[in-house]
Amino acid sequence: MKKRLAVAVLAMMLVATACGGDDDGGDAAPDTQSTTPTTAAPARGGTLVVAIGSDPGSLNPAVTSNGGVHTASEMMFNGLVGWSADGKPTPELAQSWTIDGNGTAYNFKLRTGVKWHDGRDFTSDDVKFTFERALLKLHSRTQASMGSAQLTLEAPNPTTVIFRFPNPYAPLLQQLNVTEAPIIPKHIYEGCTDLATVAGCPANKTPVGTGPFKLDSYTIQEIKLVRNPTYFRAGLPYLDGMVQRVIPDVGTQILALENKEIDWVGSVPGPDIERVKKNSAIGTSTAPRGSGGGNCTTTMIFNMKPPAGRTPFFADVRTRQAVWHAIDRNQAFRTVSFSQGKVSAAPINSGITFAAASGLTLPSFDVNRAKTLLDQVGWKDEGGARVARGVANVTDGTKFEIDWHGFAGDQTTYGEQLRGQLSAVGITMQVKTEDNATFSAAVFNRRDFDTGVASYCNGDDPEIGFRRQVDSRQISTTAFSNGAGYSNPDVDRLLDTASREPDPAKRTPLYRELQEQLVKDLPYVWLTESAGLRAFNAGCTGFNHQNTGLFAEAASCKK
Amino acid sequence: MDRRYVIRRLLQVLPAVASILIVTFVVVHAAPGDPVVAVAGESGDEAYYAFMREKFGLDRPALQQFLTYAGNVLRGDLGVSFVLGQDVSTLIAERVPATLLLMGTALLVSTVGGVVVGALAARRPFGPFDLSVSTGALIGYALPSFWLAQLAMLTIAFRTGWFPIQGMTDARANYTGLAHWGDVAHHLVLPALVLAASEVALISRIARTGILAEMDSDYIRVAQAKGLSASGALFHHALRNALLPVVTVVGTRIGFLFSGAVLVETVFGWPGLGRLVLSAAQTRDHPVLLGMVLVVAFTLVLANLITDLVYSRVDPRIRYR
Repeated sequence: MKKRLAVAVLAMMLVATACGGDDDGGDAAPDTQSTTPTTAAPARGGTLVVAIGSDPGSLNPAVTSNGGVHTASEMMFNGLVGWSADGKPTPELAQSWTIDGNGTAYNFKLRTGVKWHDGRDFTSDDVKFTFERALLKLHSRTQASMGSAQLTLEAPNPTTVIFRFPNPYAPLLQQLNVTEAPIIPKHIYEGCTDLATVAGCPANKTPVGTGPFKLDSYTIQEIKLVRNPTYFRAGLPYLDGMVQRVIPDVGTQILALENKEIDWVGSVPGPDIERVKKNSAIGTSTAPRGSGGGNCTTTMIFNMKPPAGRTPFFADVRTRQAVWHAIDRNQAFRTVSFSQGKVSAAPINSGITFAAASGLTLPSFDVNRAKTLLDQVGWKDEGGARVARGVANVTDGTKFEIDWHGFAGDQTTYGEQLRGQLSAVGITMQVKTEDNATFSAAVFNRRDFDTGVASYCNGDDPEIGFRRQVDSRQISTTAFSNGAGYSNPDVDRLLDTASREPDPAKRTPLYRELQEQLVKDLPYVWLTESAGLRAFNAGCTGFNHQNTGLFAEAASCKK
Repeated sequence: MDRRYVIRRLLQVLPAVASILIVTFVVVHAAPGDPVVAVAGESGDEAYYAFMREKFGLDRPALQQFLTYAGNVLRGDLGVSFVLGQDVSTLIAERVPATLLLMGTALLVSTVGGVVVGALAARRPFGPFDLSVSTGALIGYALPSFWLAQLAMLTIAFRTGWFPIQGMTDARANYTGLAHWGDVAHHLVLPALVLAASEVALISRIARTGILAEMDSDYIRVAQAKGLSASGALFHHALRNALLPVVTVVGTRIGFLFSGAVLVETVFGWPGLGRLVLSAAQTRDHPVLLGMVLVVAFTLVLANLITDLVYSRVDPRIRYR
């Protein structure tokens, strides 16, 4: 499903660019297109109880990219452009759009008659305000992407918004959904002294949106939402309400689902998958998305640019190849990912179909080849351990002893497995599992590491979450940037050319060339592509598993 | 009771809390990790992180940050949470009742239960009941509360269906009034019992030892010589005197009880301070962490003071100057 998505999006853009018409079919299709088709008429009423992992604190998704806030608040908002289950940009708050100047100007015609939860009209002023005051300043992904691309907005009349960029900007339509760019009402938020906090903006705890549900109450243990009777998609939602219950422990979430206390869990932990799938009272669905973004690849980082005083173990490409050959990625897929998702076949996540290369030759699991390569570099086997004998820039006698950083939890298993596999070729690895903050500080901030494992979420375009991994200008202290410290001017040039190319058909070969280069250089080990398993009360249907934001817009539960 | 003594003890609280605050500030700031990452998510650029750092004042020297913070605390302002964006004092105040209910119930259950079990065990030292209580106490005290919580959830709640798995109330029902409190009590049973388990173990041991020591003293022998039964002597005379070490232990265990509540609240999804403190630690939410440490430190110092005052009630020979 996800495979067709990006292609269709870009095809859509092409069509829009080519015809330049004012209406690309926008509202003609029924708005329930984004839902799982059901044969019988959906039941009305009822309350869906959803588990969320943390108390979000605030319910304004436009001022942060924090996953907790987004999960808890997106059902109350909308983006300009949504996603259909069959992978097309669908009209949401924008009814239609045209793209001019090869992607330097996007002209959106807004849906008319849309009301905020307080009854006021939604207009182009709200869109301009949302981007200028909130998204481009406070939403980290949107700030980093569209902000860096120097987006400016114009609202010439209440139903028109024009996005302008100085250079062609290809991925805009992929970034306008409720997760990347939720729209908030100007009249509620313009008086805030600090939009980012509840203290400076009390409305952040009593949000007003356009979405299918509106806020009923927000207490320390749950957020209650009720049906928005004036939602612009007539007849939706079917549910009377939603309760988002804060349950920090995922094990407790699953037990509560099995005990019928709740109806929906966003991600089933690996060890519980088999049991949950066997339970006939529980339905499941695989989805490549989470609130942190979609299309995530679990990736091992080689520190190619360690700070002074640290041994540059991975400066030589043959050493990185050796590690690739020493690692059995299939084993990790079975035992760590519990066969959810797939083994990576290219640097770019296969969910971005137009960009992910196919048929690349990645180093296979081949212990003997790994040993030969290490010998060639000068890492000699001395009694089962590798010792430097003539390795460039490494003092003779240095032992091949490296550290490995990863998140505590599932990734600990990864670390233990890699440790075993590397010891088979004479490399000693120390596993250090840490929480997110400690990990980011060691790996990205201080670069005080040899190897690490991180999940890079690619999003729906390489520009969103992939570029940062390999762009030499993103070697920085920022978390989840170019952790390898990899620098190749050809790669930078290809990234730039592809990002300014509005024709998706022309982007594909550029990204292929880019990935062929990356497979030669191997700055990372692309291990596995992750997929979350959603689990829900089998009496409930109509979820949109591709869209985390509005997943329950058309859900209904048997009474 | 001397009022001057209470005032003097209350004044001693200030340097204690101040030094706890300094140490915590240093530890929180020395901990690896950047709170901005938790707020910004993983995809911000340098400019965004710099902007957030400036916004939170994290770009300024640590000493200056501390002085600003201390000044605000003196004015009664605990600051704003980096991650939740709300006033720390509000965040804490909203969650105090839930935690008080959980800890209070656990404290009550463990104190009363522990003393009763200890007294029954002391009636026949090394008898079958005493031995099984001793063994049970050893196990109960050794079990980590988060593990016991999961065990209770799987065996009692899930298998029997007698108790709910999580939360403080039923998510679907909208009870009010008495029904609401009944619902809360129903949800409270398991977490409170789990939290109380190790305390019951400890207190029963202390009570048993204390009572046995008292039963050996002259006044008990006199009472028994005058015709009082062993049980009568135990419950009417020995118990009250044996309570002194129990009071000491209960007073000092408040802190341990809170650290237990952090885990129990997280496992059972109980919406209290424990859960707040855990998420604040994970996201390096400095203001919330510091605010919580302040509140807990203050509570502990206060609990010690109350313990001292209760002493003089239990044993009139104890006077404070």
